[in-house]
Amino acid sequence: MKITICIGSSCHLKGSRQVVEGLQNLVAKHNLKDVVELEGTFCMGKCQTGVNVTVDGEFYSVTPDGVETFFETTVLPRIK
Amino acid sequence: MRKNNLCADIGYMSINHVGENLCGDHVEVVETDENTTVIVLADGLGSGVKASILSTLTSKIISTMIAAGLKLEEAVETIAATLPVCKDRGVAYSTFTIIRITGNERAEIIQYDNPKSILLRNGENYELPVTVSEIGGKKIIRSEVALKENDLFIAMSDGVEHAGVGIKYNFGWKRDDIIDFMQTFYHIGFTAKTLTKILLDEVNRLYDGKPGDDATVCTVRIRSRVPVNLLFGPPSVREDGRKMMSLFFSKEGKHIVCGGTTSTIAADYLGKTLRPNLDFFDPEIPPTAEIEGVDLVTEGVITINRVLEYARNYLADNSSYEEWSSKKDGASRISRMLFEEATDINFFVGRAVNPAHQNPNLPINFNIKMTLVDELSKCLVKMGKKIKVSYF
Repeated sequence: MKITICIGSSCHLKGSRQVVEGLQNLVAKHNLKDVVELEGTFCMGKCQTGVNVTVDGEFYSVTPDGVETFFETTVLPRIK
Repeated sequence: MRKNNLCADIGYMSINHVGENLCGDHVEVVETDENTTVIVLADGLGSGVKASILSTLTSKIISTMIAAGLKLEEAVETIAATLPVCKDRGVAYSTFTIIRITGNERAEIIQYDNPKSILLRNGENYELPVTVSEIGGKKIIRSEVALKENDLFIAMSDGVEHAGVGIKYNFGWKRDDIIDFMQTFYHIGFTAKTLTKILLDEVNRLYDGKPGDDATVCTVRIRSRVPVNLLFGPPSVREDGRKMMSLFFSKEGKHIVCGGTTSTIAADYLGKTLRPNLDFFDPEIPPTAEIEGVDLVTEGVITINRVLEYARNYLADNSSYEEWSSKKDGASRISRMLFEEATDINFFVGRAVNPAHQNPNLPINFNIKMTLVDELSKCLVKMGKKIKVSYF
């Protein structure tokens, strides 16, 4: 599974660092380093909805506070 | 036409006599034409307001006269004849060192009562040949030398040699001690400004942080020219993208690409993949990316804004040096390339308005981008860089 996080200017200001670090921690915690590939990207052209994240090409908007919920409701079910 | 590929990197700084707000030393740098640079370091007698006025006057008179095309001898004569000799102490009010660099080929050093300037060549002390003459009853020491790459000149006011008198040393540290000290840093490739700060920090330390005299250092490093090119922002007309890219990538020297959309266009043009990293070396600066064939790829506005902060600090007291000189984030890396490596910088600035950035809730917008380029160029000019900005 590939998760891509936008690290462009706009998403950066909306907290992409926290989202990246949050996902990195959660992936490590669940021992999913071999299953989930984290990747950065520059602007996805949807700055209004940032922080923009895609999971295998599918768009999601994630806030720094909502990383854990996003991981539990979107990422984990896709793996199992 | 430049005769060789050399240029002079000039850096100077002062520390004030303890308790004084004004410095009694003054440095003036004038580029009289494409080929000639004149540096004057003047030290007014005493400290505080009087000394400050005298040294400013001296350096301004000399540099202005030379800039106006008068001969160095005439300027020195005027100064030597004009400067009054203090009744009580029997010495002139302001001493000076003039370094004139012509065509990046020769340096002429004229000194009046300042500590003898030092030249380090290939890391070793090179004693400058001197001729002594008397102009207006004042003993003027004169040297001339053909320049070589990596020559390092160190001019100073006597406050540097007096450092540590009665504290760390009985009679201050000697010229040889200063040479020894600076030889250590010769080969590292520090800029003139950094070398100046290293020496002055040591002087301040020897004074126990309470300088007994104004101390000024001016270093001149002869180095070869290095061009660096920086691309920032997509062009206002989308179709101009390829033109902008071909002009940018045809330039000699290193290439830095700033901005998300910009780097996508650059990667397309080169037919290479854009690979963003996810390492946050600095929590506030977005990660860098990689494109084969580009030396550095970074985010745009936030990164450049930090570079501007570092540039302003560098021109002031350079206290952020330890941050940008070693860190791996995009802003620090751009700073090192622009402040230390480059002598000639070409900016390729795209004027496209990023719709995503026009959100009033975001602290970035089009005007800020243009202002950033203007302000950064100004700072770089003050660092002695040759700047060219092209807009697309």
